Amino acid sequence: MLIRDLYYLSLHNLLLHKIRSFLTSLGIIFGVGSVIAMLAISGGAKNAALDQIAALGIDNIIVFTKSLKKPGGSESDPSRTLDYGLTHVDMKNIEKMENIRHITSIRNGRLQITRGVDVLDVEMFWVTPDFLKDLNCSIIRGRWLTPPDFKNAAPVCVIGRDVKRKLFNLGETEIIGRILHVPFGAFTIVGILENNAGTSIEGINSINDSIYIPSTTGRKVFSEYTAETGPRMLKIHHVEHDIFIVKVKDTQVIDHTARRITSLLNKTHDDKDWGIHVPLSLLKQKEQTQNIFTIVMGSIAAISLIVGGIGIMNIMLANVYERRKEIGTRRAMGAKKKDILFQFLIETVFLTTMGGVAGIGLGIGLSAAVTRFSGMPSDVSMWSIVGSITISGIVGVLFGTYPAWQAANQNPIDALKAE
Amino acid sequence: MYPQNNKDNAVREIIRLERLEKTYYLESLEVPVLKGIDLSIYNGELIGIMGVSGSGKSTMLNILGLLDVPTGGRYFLDGQEVRNFSDNALAQLRNAKIGFIFQSFNLSPHLTVEQNIEMPMVYAESPKKVRRERARELAERVGLGHRLKHRPRELSGGECQRIAIARALGNSPAYLLADEPTGNLDEKTSDEIMELFTGLHQEHHTTIVMVTHNPDLESLFDRVIHLRDGRVV
Repeated sequence: MLIRDLYYLSLHNLLLHKIRSFLTSLGIIFGVGSVIAMLAISGGAKNAALDQIAALGIDNIIVFTKSLKKPGGSESDPSRTLDYGLTHVDMKNIEKMENIRHITSIRNGRLQITRGVDVLDVEMFWVTPDFLKDLNCSIIRGRWLTPPDFKNAAPVCVIGRDVKRKLFNLGETEIIGRILHVPFGAFTIVGILENNAGTSIEGINSINDSIYIPSTTGRKVFSEYTAETGPRMLKIHHVEHDIFIVKVKDTQVIDHTARRITSLLNKTHDDKDWGIHVPLSLLKQKEQTQNIFTIVMGSIAAISLIVGGIGIMNIMLANVYERRKEIGTRRAMGAKKKDILFQFLIETVFLTTMGGVAGIGLGIGLSAAVTRFSGMPSDVSMWSIVGSITISGIVGVLFGTYPAWQAANQNPIDALKAE
Repeated sequence: MYPQNNKDNAVREIIRLERLEKTYYLESLEVPVLKGIDLSIYNGELIGIMGVSGSGKSTMLNILGLLDVPTGGRYFLDGQEVRNFSDNALAQLRNAKIGFIFQSFNLSPHLTVEQNIEMPMVYAESPKKVRRERARELAERVGLGHRLKHRPRELSGGECQRIAIARALGNSPAYLLADEPTGNLDEKTSDEIMELFTGLHQEHHTTIVMVTHNPDLESLFDRVIHLRDGRVV
């Protein structure tokens, strides 16, 4: 029998019983739908997590200061100076290493910023010129800090997008050029920056919620010493740098460079008053855990495909029984066993594949609905669509073979006698 | 006994059975159904096979139709001995050599008349265009050229059997094998169908083997083979 006739015949039989075909493939429709939706949602979560990590820059190594819970020396000395964290010497040493492009330094201003009597959730950072670029930020109004600002330790600042709302009244639209008063200082606002990549970095709550001044200005206005007061206690903290964003030249050897920085700092610091992150390594780890998550979710959903397949096998077996007379007649007319086998098999594969296509529609709809109503990101990937169609076809072959084999092996004499 | 008006073809043995036997084995029990049948059928003959139920008629029909294999003796179909044929080869032979006609028509209710007639040609892998043309021609020959696009449920029983006959002729088989073709029809329609058979027989020299238990038909056959208790009498 010609393949085209076989296809036509199988399709014709399915279309005869539209409702039954639809009900039969429901299992597959829901199975594929849930697989697609699950993969889309876990894929969306994965991409969101990866974007966040990637926004740290995959060519960055982040080195940061950890404040010591138990500083060296005796606790009984209430006025001891706590001297810890990354130093100017560390910065110079790291800059001299191989594979280093440049270092951006960030120092937390350790200031409480208020508006009236309210303490605002706003922090001030002393930064070096490459901060803007290294943290994927852009200027939406005014300008970034210029070399003369750094050279002259100018009293200027750039504020994050969301700071404006917290510091100023709604009506005040033009804030470039205005003076921002903070304890011990006043700065002219020269620009507004924005970070849309969702970059998050150890030690910075939100880039859009912070104020940035030149590092030179910070040192001149505030000094590197900060006082922490409490009941019958005064602690002086001395921290030179809080964060180094170390840009490397070659990301292939970024882990090696990170190890060298680690051993350098191990040598020069007595205490573990620093930490190190390599976003690229985090990215790889996160990718792995997300992949496992995706596989587990997909497998659970795939069980419903098996259930759907069993349902189809049941219906097809009943179908074979019902159509014995047709089978007998076809055999008498010269149909070979394989003609009958393929007729029923192709019918099943058509059923599951069409179910798969419908399921993809359902899955896309489901994930869009989830994204819309719960805000969870979802991402329907091309390979999940191609994979679903392929798997539906495979389910059809797996669960269609037995009924088709039954059909092909009907004794034609008995089949002809069937009513 | 030989076809009288065969002008185109020399006399040819379409079917030859030599001491054909069929025995069923039910556990330890041997049930002989056909007990050594010798029979020749020539091209252009219209043959009736008659016998009461239990005489071995159905078994004989199944063996002639290559749906069953004998347990002894030889069966020559169109000069070729059918022996140790694979299931595929038997299917191919059925397709090419035998036109089946059933008591209950066995048309596919969901296919059109045209598609029903095409069925054996589909298994012969004839191209669609050829099939269409041949189906139209055959439908016209059985007087239903105007019904090509109808479905069997829109036809009367007699018309259905006409379509079934047209279908059986699709691959120009060596002979038609009809199993009680008028068994489901009223007397008038029955006569019409028999007229169609005799017409095919006389005008086209079609070889026809018809299994029936209707004694009224006896006079229409060139020859009647009576089966009783597994033997030709």
